[in-house]
Amino acid sequence: MKSRRKLWSIFGPVIVAAGLLILLFSLPLGWGRFSEQTEKQAAVSLSPKVFRGQKIKQQALQNGYVPFFGSSELSRFDVFNPAVLAAKYRRSYRPFLLGAAGSQSLTHYFIMQNLGSQLRGKKVVFIISPQWFTKLGQRPDAFGFYYSPLQTIDWIIHAKNNPADRYAAKRLLQMPSGRSSQTTAAALENIANGQSISRFQKTVLRAKETMLRNEDTLFSHFQTNKNLAKVQKSEKVLPAQYSTPQLQRLATKVGHQATSNNQLGIKNSFYTRRLSGNHMQALRDSQTNFDYRQSPEYSDFQLVLTQFSQWHVSVQFIIPPINQRWANYTGLSMPMIHQTDQKIKYQLQQQGFNHVLDLTDDGNEKYFMEDTIHLGWRGWLRADQAIDPFLTKQQPQPKYNIQNRFFTKKWQTSTHIE
Amino acid sequence: MINLQPYSNPIYFVWLAVTLLPLMVGLYFGKRFVVYQTIISGIFLLLIFGGSKWQQGLALIGYIIYQFIVVGGYAAYKKHANKTWVFVSMVSLSIMPLVIVKLTPAIEVGQQSLIGFLGISYLTFKSVQMIMEMRDGTIKKFAPIMFARFLLFFPTISSGPIDRYRRFQHDYVQVPTREHYLEMVAQAVHYIFLGFLYKFILGYFFGTVMLPQIAQVAISHRAAFFHTGISLALIEYMYTYSMYLFFDFAGYSLFAVAASYLMGIETPMNFDHPFKARNIKDFWNRWHMTLSFWFRDFIFMRLTFFIMKHHLIKKRTRIPQAAYLVNFLIMGFWHGVTWYYIVYGLFHAGAIIINDYWLAYKKKNPQLPHNRWTEGLAIFITFNVVCFSFLIFSGFLNTLWFQAR
Repeated sequence: MKSRRKLWSIFGPVIVAAGLLILLFSLPLGWGRFSEQTEKQAAVSLSPKVFRGQKIKQQALQNGYVPFFGSSELSRFDVFNPAVLAAKYRRSYRPFLLGAAGSQSLTHYFIMQNLGSQLRGKKVVFIISPQWFTKLGQRPDAFGFYYSPLQTIDWIIHAKNNPADRYAAKRLLQMPSGRSSQTTAAALENIANGQSISRFQKTVLRAKETMLRNEDTLFSHFQTNKNLAKVQKSEKVLPAQYSTPQLQRLATKVGHQATSNNQLGIKNSFYTRRLSGNHMQALRDSQTNFDYRQSPEYSDFQLVLTQFSQWHVSVQFIIPPINQRWANYTGLSMPMIHQTDQKIKYQLQQQGFNHVLDLTDDGNEKYFMEDTIHLGWRGWLRADQAIDPFLTKQQPQPKYNIQNRFFTKKWQTSTHIE
Repeated sequence: MINLQPYSNPIYFVWLAVTLLPLMVGLYFGKRFVVYQTIISGIFLLLIFGGSKWQQGLALIGYIIYQFIVVGGYAAYKKHANKTWVFVSMVSLSIMPLVIVKLTPAIEVGQQSLIGFLGISYLTFKSVQMIMEMRDGTIKKFAPIMFARFLLFFPTISSGPIDRYRRFQHDYVQVPTREHYLEMVAQAVHYIFLGFLYKFILGYFFGTVMLPQIAQVAISHRAAFFHTGISLALIEYMYTYSMYLFFDFAGYSLFAVAASYLMGIETPMNFDHPFKARNIKDFWNRWHMTLSFWFRDFIFMRLTFFIMKHHLIKKRTRIPQAAYLVNFLIMGFWHGVTWYYIVYGLFHAGAIIINDYWLAYKKKNPQLPHNRWTEGLAIFITFNVVCFSFLIFSGFLNTLWFQAR
């Protein structure tokens, strides 16, 4: 009898704790709303946790935030970053920055998956870098870094038997992260083969979805990030009133001061940290063989376009240039860059995506680029001149005409348009 | 085929609970289900070393066969002869696979040896200990099955704690009384939950949330202070890494001890509030205890006796100093053949020698104050010396000085 009491006193609390934990994660709990401050922090956090999640993005997008998809350029919080400009000049929109080093089309495609009802009929900005279009496309490790089981499950549950979804399933299965869970991998195999997922898979996935969603909601309350402070610091440098000539002068001035230690127009800190000393010698003519014209990324990008079309999203695309002096130094082929640009634009325009700000030829503009391939002071201002009217003025309902030929190997490898 | 790394995720604990339950019921009623325990041990070994880690699994099997030949061979020899050179060669043979595994990445940069597997060093400690105790005559009989159980005891296979054969054998054969077993189970549950706090909350916070951010800042300041990289961020890194190291490893050790307790085996504890240590010697009695005790018993003590017996060093106070130096140097090499592990070893040897001088000085001068303030100061100094040694140990200085671009 005594032993039995002892047993209860040992395992009773464990059983209660386990029960509570199961309840916590399996009940569809709402967990309240996030404060405005949390929204603000999340919008500029660029944290994988935010990218992988759902709840905070949903709430922010309902409250006037607009997704800005991109990659490493978003993480430069200098004075003219779109997040800084929008906050300073009290625009009717606030950018929700989605993307950091290594995030490409495939990551963005999955980020969108549980934001359907927030994106339908809305506007977004999409910064598409030629550097994504490498021979092997999305790097599996970078994809894994942003991989979200929740988004993947949401996607699987709604997947249909069509070329886009079959392609996406195949792509995921090529990534180690897509195979990290057995249930997910099995369901993906089904979708890739054009079969529907089994009822058992669906039940397991639904249970997991609830659990992951609760986890996301719970932990999204904890935003620890220093980027918001950077944004607020940068705001102080800007003039009180928006005036293009004044901002141009400021951009020139700040850019001039910040690129004083090298001949390439690269920000001093970037130059010292990444390029100084022997690195520079090693980089001379190091990019002569770079080629962005053939890449699986073209089809990954097509996934994103298909999704935009399904939800009638209006998209402002921005194609950033490459710092011309840097390209010359590293021997990057400009004809190749132009052909890449043509190919991307062709894919966009053939399907009715007509808001494209192509900056490819601006790589030689002074203080346009902050370093090698990232938009900087005047570059962001130029982008803002397209972004601001696009987001603040009424746009006609887009008419898209999605073509599945962009999912083919033939398109990925073609160097001749038409 | 699935692969599960020990104690790395919630599923592992579910597996553990489900499979151990029948064994626990048996122990509660005073019986050890040996066959069942053997089967689940096999399953766990398969989960740890199967699937994507199958090469490691093969290496483990090869290693076990090899150690059986070495240890069993020595046991057979020991029955009728006792030559020192045989003993020394057997110990060397037993250590050889570990030496190869540790040397491979140093010789062929970054290459991992094919004969390596998770936990090889811990199995080596166990095997070498067998040979040494046979030499001493404290282990008389070589029982192959018990030796296999001892080596392959799955709760501790990956990173210890390092048990002793005779203790293990006793616990295995002698089932604890119900009262005692319930105490152990209660302790185990407590350890598991403490381990969750340590490894998955604190260790995660320091290691996964904080450390990469701090590392980035520290690297960006690598030109600071006359290109030594000494910056505030580096100091932050030092403390954060130390916290991570402790909570991660102590958390793991708690899990390993808890799982052993549930199986009725009282695997020794690995940590005893190490940051409360009042000097370096005290620290090594509290930090990674099964390792430091192993080194104490099988290297330090033996070396000290050897030096004294052969009068290698005249001055008495020099003997422990030499022994410390060798002891910690070997420990450094054991961690890996890189400059920072070796410097870490030497640093601790130096610290403990200085500490010995201080203790001798204190003994001679009894008028020196001793109160809770001086004790607090001692703890503070020890803590900082230890954290600094962990900064060396972390290898971050290597990244900072020689690798970061």
